[in-house]
Amino acid sequence: MSVIDIKGLHKSFGDMHVLKGIDLTVEPGEVVVIIGPSGSGKSTLLRCINFLEFPDEGEIRVNGEPIDPKKTNLDKVRQHMGMVFQQFQLFPHKNVLHNITIAPIEVKGLHHKQANAIARDLLEKVGLPDREKAWPSELSGGQKQRVAIARALAMDPDIMLFDEVTSALDPELVNEVLQVMQELAAGGMTMVVVTHEMGFAREMADRVVMMADGMIVEQGTPEQIFDSPQEERTQAFLGQVL
Amino acid sequence: MTILNVVKEHFWGFLAATGMTLQLTAVSLVLAVVIGLLFAFLKLSKNRAANIFADAYIGLTRGMPLIVQLMFLYFGISSILVLSPFWAGSLALAFHAGGYVAEILRGAIQNIDSGQTEAARSLGMSRLKAMRLIVLPQAFRRAIPALGNQFIIGLKDSTLVAYLGVPELFSKAMTAAAANYQPFETYLVAGTYYLVLVMIFTWMVNKLEKRLTPHRQEATL
Repeated sequence: MSVIDIKGLHKSFGDMHVLKGIDLTVEPGEVVVIIGPSGSGKSTLLRCINFLEFPDEGEIRVNGEPIDPKKTNLDKVRQHMGMVFQQFQLFPHKNVLHNITIAPIEVKGLHHKQANAIARDLLEKVGLPDREKAWPSELSGGQKQRVAIARALAMDPDIMLFDEVTSALDPELVNEVLQVMQELAAGGMTMVVVTHEMGFAREMADRVVMMADGMIVEQGTPEQIFDSPQEERTQAFLGQVL
Repeated sequence: MTILNVVKEHFWGFLAATGMTLQLTAVSLVLAVVIGLLFAFLKLSKNRAANIFADAYIGLTRGMPLIVQLMFLYFGISSILVLSPFWAGSLALAFHAGGYVAEILRGAIQNIDSGQTEAARSLGMSRLKAMRLIVLPQAFRRAIPALGNQFIIGLKDSTLVAYLGVPELFSKAMTAAAANYQPFETYLVAGTYYLVLVMIFTWMVNKLEKRLTPHRQEATL
């Protein structure tokens, strides 16, 4: 059963028709990387998947369940999806440990001790075992993003969504974040990644999805997309970024 | 030195009246924050009727002099509901300050990056939890300077309650000045009490802001 199954998704903001009929499935353990020019609707698609934006038309199934944003309890749906944002969005009034434990404690009802143990384990995984008492403002961008990944993982999600998570980072900090994502992918996590990092896409993707003008232009293995793109839009885009 | 005589004669009396002033201020400001928060939410709501209701309240409280609101609540309402001078005064002060507090809090809540709410919701928090755990704590912190300012105004506005016959500091000063024919000295002493109160209060607000801030907040988001 697919983790995510999208059919005929449309989304507009006012007169702007951002998504024009998207069909996409994500299988368990799959790493799907979405590429494409700015304004192609990549981020909107990702935000529709966990209903930060409501689709205007079309159907989204999560773990086989069709979701009606007006009727389904979306809080429950989102508990099973981790999301990492371009601008980190750590909670500035909470230290690193509390950023990670707040959702397990407040949403899942875990005991502090349990949540702390999970958080420390994850901090170890993202390479920040000694920063649990630090405040977000004391961290570098790369460290913030790694804490944000740990925060999302603390809910033990079925799927992780990454929305241009390295775009706001200084170039020398990009790799430490990509490395964490690589380890995650290697560990079998289901991931949908919107990125401009073509190296990551080529190396880690099971499937690359090329979007332009609100539509999926082409999708396939990294070799198919990067080495022998079929569509003109893909060729043009890759010609610019590679 | 006549001023020393005034101090000698009224030190304890004024101090007791200061207690009444502080009670009035504290009760009215706690109520004002509750009222303000409620109307801030009404104003932020997507419900059109709630917006209009909130606008009407804020317009009324900010648009009429406090003394008129005081008199209205004490003498006007007393035909329907009998309120003690203390409660009429506290409620009127709260009602008045609530309009300003509502606008302060609304602004502070709106100024928190919507990405913070999205991050909280993406972790499975309900709208209410995201507001209570993530947005409000940050909004309150940012609102402290403006709220502190409003509280100082509230403390000084409490003098008007003297006209309802509440035995607070300013009413004590008026009585004393009428009896000793030394208005200059008497009001100078009473004014000093207020000044000291405001200074203590300002110090506390600064302390609170430092405690909640130091290096912990991000300047930019």
